[in-house]
Amino acid sequence: MNLRVIRANLVVSIKSFYREKTVVFFRLAFPVILILVFGTIFMERDNEIFDLDVQDLDQTKSSVQLAKAIGVSGRFKITQVAPAINAAQYAKDNKRNLVLIIPKGCEESLMHRMGLDDPHASVTLTEIHDPSSFGVTTKMQVLNIVLAGINQEMSGKPPFIRSAETSILTKKYRFIEFFVPGIIAMAVMTASLFGAVNVNAELRQKGVLRKLSTTPITRTDWILSNILYQFILAVLSTTVMLLVSYGVFNVSLEINAWLPVFVALDVFAFVGLGMILTRVAKEAESAAAAADALLFPMMFLSGTFFPVEMMPEFLQKFAKVLPLYYVNEGLRASMVSMDNMAALRYATIIGIFAAVVFVLGIMTTTLSEEAT
Amino acid sequence: MTKEAEHAIEVERLTKRYGALLAVNDLSFNVRKGEVFALLGPNGAGKTTTVEIIDTIRTPTSGKASLLGMDVTKKKHDIVPRIGVLPQGFSSFDRITVRETIQYYSRLFCCRNTDVDGLIELVNLKDKAQEQYKNLSGGLKQRLGIAIALVNDPEVVFLDEPTTGLDPRARREVWKVLLGLRNKGKTVFLTTHYMEEAELLADRVAIIAKGKIIAMDSPGELIEGNANYMVLTLQSVEERASGIIRKLGFEPVHDNHRNIKVRLEHTDDVQKILNAIKEGGASFLGLDVRKPNLEEVFLKLTGETLHEDSAGEKGAE
Repeated sequence: MNLRVIRANLVVSIKSFYREKTVVFFRLAFPVILILVFGTIFMERDNEIFDLDVQDLDQTKSSVQLAKAIGVSGRFKITQVAPAINAAQYAKDNKRNLVLIIPKGCEESLMHRMGLDDPHASVTLTEIHDPSSFGVTTKMQVLNIVLAGINQEMSGKPPFIRSAETSILTKKYRFIEFFVPGIIAMAVMTASLFGAVNVNAELRQKGVLRKLSTTPITRTDWILSNILYQFILAVLSTTVMLLVSYGVFNVSLEINAWLPVFVALDVFAFVGLGMILTRVAKEAESAAAAADALLFPMMFLSGTFFPVEMMPEFLQKFAKVLPLYYVNEGLRASMVSMDNMAALRYATIIGIFAAVVFVLGIMTTTLSEEAT
Repeated sequence: MTKEAEHAIEVERLTKRYGALLAVNDLSFNVRKGEVFALLGPNGAGKTTTVEIIDTIRTPTSGKASLLGMDVTKKKHDIVPRIGVLPQGFSSFDRITVRETIQYYSRLFCCRNTDVDGLIELVNLKDKAQEQYKNLSGGLKQRLGIAIALVNDPEVVFLDEPTTGLDPRARREVWKVLLGLRNKGKTVFLTTHYMEEAELLADRVAIIAKGKIIAMDSPGELIEGNANYMVLTLQSVEERASGIIRKLGFEPVHDNHRNIKVRLEHTDDVQKILNAIKEGGASFLGLDVRKPNLEEVFLKLTGETLHEDSAGEKGAE
């Protein structure tokens, strides 16, 4: 290992980076855009008020009261649908995913229940919904909870079973706080893998690596220079991501020594992987395609955008063989739950992976033409 | 003087095979220290494979190549600091300037005393020192490549087709730089498919075809030994001149530009032909009598032309 050679490579890489303004923009802006877009979506979801269309076929004081009670819950903004309209057609035409129908005879049934004390008297509200709509299940669940509450109120007795929530975390966290560490892990992975693949495949294709093979630079010097360069960029983009997260969403995340450790391991693992891919795929285009094929499953199955627990069991098992999963979990353990033991466990796993990939990267990388 | 001290490069029965393709076939030759040695041959002849085995980029299938007395397959780390290489199709980092590129390669060799300005001056890139690589023309890029090949003050310089793809003017600018290297007494191993380049720059030329060396000597000796005749060219000549020349017992060859070439053994034959044409009443615009060049030597030895565009090249110049 020759530090002078590594420094020379680093200087060339950094100059090439900042002189290519579009690369600088996308490298720094892409993760920030993701944080802004998803952050905004999830911030909305935390306090979401659903639109609900209600068709009152009874048109009585009681049915009006019922619709009002649903609105008063604070979870729904009610829009009245005229009784003469076909509700299913209305939903289709107006792209509404849920229309609640209060049937005719609602007040009459209520009178039977309340006045005549008839326990069998009931009213069935119809929920016309579009099952292809992404958010309708949650909306129906919230509506049923609100309706259960109204039922409970009408019984005039306090509920017997109550529940109290206690978080395993010391602070109350919003989804954005779980999301930001995932985006950091993913952005560093993407940039490291694509950075290594693109730069090396391009330099190989242009013949620059062939020229380098006639100089004293070694494979270890070359890979370490690549890793160091990607680490510097990763620190830069992580800083920008955190500044935006604090500035725009006022996130509450713990920044400690684990952060640079996980960023470094993330870079090590994925630059090494990129080196191997560049060697396996000879053309720049096929190397980029191979990187895509690796990246996309990892992006969506490692728990970056949604929790791994939401996936079917076999996919959860698959997630645990993906290196990004351990970076995600490790960063969350250190930044959100502040669980040092968990962070250490995840760091060890990704560290072993990074070491293996690094050694394989050195073994497979060749600057000379002979091996291509 | 021992053989090792005398020869910078020694190649013995060198062979390189890519599957069924025999790229280099049992080559043996030596390059003396301080000489400019050119490997001349058409595309696909095995020039680049040969030079890349000697400068340690590739490994041979069999045979042996030694550089400065060291086996190229075993002593790469000792050889690399002592050689400079301009690989075929040289390229560098797009966004890095001429000066920075030279400094970068100098650092790779850990040279603390590289005369960056001197190298920039040597390859005549002073005005472009702050220009990024991607903004340089083909000729300027090649000149930068030559400067880079010299950052470690190498004992042997390998230049693999340094002027391929350049226009005639850029080629001549690169030649000027290469003549400078020759004057500095560097050992230069040059591959080319331009015969003018080999004739102008090389002390010795090895002609290679289909992986085999078919002739090797100084350009003058090669021409003298293989093409001891003259060529008379009559420009824009009338058709009937062919018949007149043929009657004299010579074999005229037409080209696409209404020119006739006649191979002659004796100087007197020129006058004989010109008189016959004059008497026959045929006219022509101009004439040229010259010794044959390496192109014709190559043609004679292999029955092929050196490169497809040779006629065009000459026309362009």
